[in-house]
Amino acid sequence: MNQADVSKLMSQLRIAVKPHRNLRNPDGPEGRLLKLRKTVTALVKHERIELYYNRADEARGYAELLISNAIRYGDRHKATMELADYWLLEKQLVHKLFKVLVPRLENCNFSYTRMYKAPRDYPGMYYRKSVLELRGNPYPSLLPDYTNNRNLIHNVLLDEARKDYRREKLAELADKIASESAVNAEKVGSEGDAKEAENVEKA
Amino acid sequence: MSRNIYQSLNSFLNRLERFIFFGHRGQPPLELALVGMPSVGLNAPNKSDRFSLKNLLGDGILWAVPKHRRTIEKRLNRKFGLPGYNWKPLVAKTNLRSCNQCGHDHELGVLCPHCYKKVEQETRLMQEKIEQKLGLEPIEHEVVVLYQGEQLEKNENGSNDRKVRVVEMEKPRPVWFSKNLMQKTTAQPADTKEVKPSNLG
Repeated sequence: MNQADVSKLMSQLRIAVKPHRNLRNPDGPEGRLLKLRKTVTALVKHERIELYYNRADEARGYAELLISNAIRYGDRHKATMELADYWLLEKQLVHKLFKVLVPRLENCNFSYTRMYKAPRDYPGMYYRKSVLELRGNPYPSLLPDYTNNRNLIHNVLLDEARKDYRREKLAELADKIASESAVNAEKVGSEGDAKEAENVEKA
Repeated sequence: MSRNIYQSLNSFLNRLERFIFFGHRGQPPLELALVGMPSVGLNAPNKSDRFSLKNLLGDGILWAVPKHRRTIEKRLNRKFGLPGYNWKPLVAKTNLRSCNQCGHDHELGVLCPHCYKKVEQETRLMQEKIEQKLGLEPIEHEVVVLYQGEQLEKNENGSNDRKVRVVEMEKPRPVWFSKNLMQKTTAQPADTKEVKPSNLG
């Protein structure tokens, strides 16, 4: 009963962790970890990478852990700094982790990364591909854009407003044309009268 | 020389003789055939020469021939495979949908290849630019990518003190990658004027 609550001792991941994969490597477990470190480094550096599904899924958990620990403990925590030093092979990215990613993601309520299944050429290779990205990146969104869906309530309202605006403008235009044509008709009528008078005088 | 001439003359005479008596088909002419006699050219089956494996094989031996009959089940399995394990005939895919944006087909739960290609190319261009700009210095500020003719958005209090690294793309922002949700309602008024036809008589 007096045991510590484990969930409070370490940060909980916000993604479903799949069972450990045996990413085969000729250098054994060290080689495997090096592969994952390279992936995590690339993710922090580029913020969006495309790679094989298994490797992305495996590396994602470590990236999540790194970011959540950085948010939780900050940059004055020795263990977190060592973790960052271990996972980030390019050391300029340690600055990025604490100075850019922590402020960006500290109020994030979901996972810090996103993973999509990427299309493969048919029939292509057997391995599935995926896109791994950090949230809040500057790149165009990979999700389909539903903002133009005609049935969304704001689009319905905007369409109606647009229609009203056009109707108003057309009415204005019609009024303008009508007044102009009336003025022209008057002018033509007066000119015609003058000509007739001249003709009568000549005759 | 004289021997050659003799041989060719001899063969010519032989051929002439054969042609006169047997015609060009190698059989005796019909006029010479006797009624009721078996024709020589038809090769009637001889009753003593029945089919036998011994005659056919002689001294030879046979290699790798099936010893036992394959059952129908085995034959069908070899032909079509097993449904649960390795089903060989083509199977229709039911997890294909058409993209709401571009109309291309894609697998369910997988990004649309056409839309993804577009985004991927733009992302790669942006990544190249960002990498070029940031170099090897420690990264301390958020990166903002600006396209041609764009300016940095100001803060709420109007000051421009947001600490960001600005990366400029030397091209206009793609239409599909727009931050502006509103679309243009009316076209700009035209500068051109109506020209009435002249010299029509």
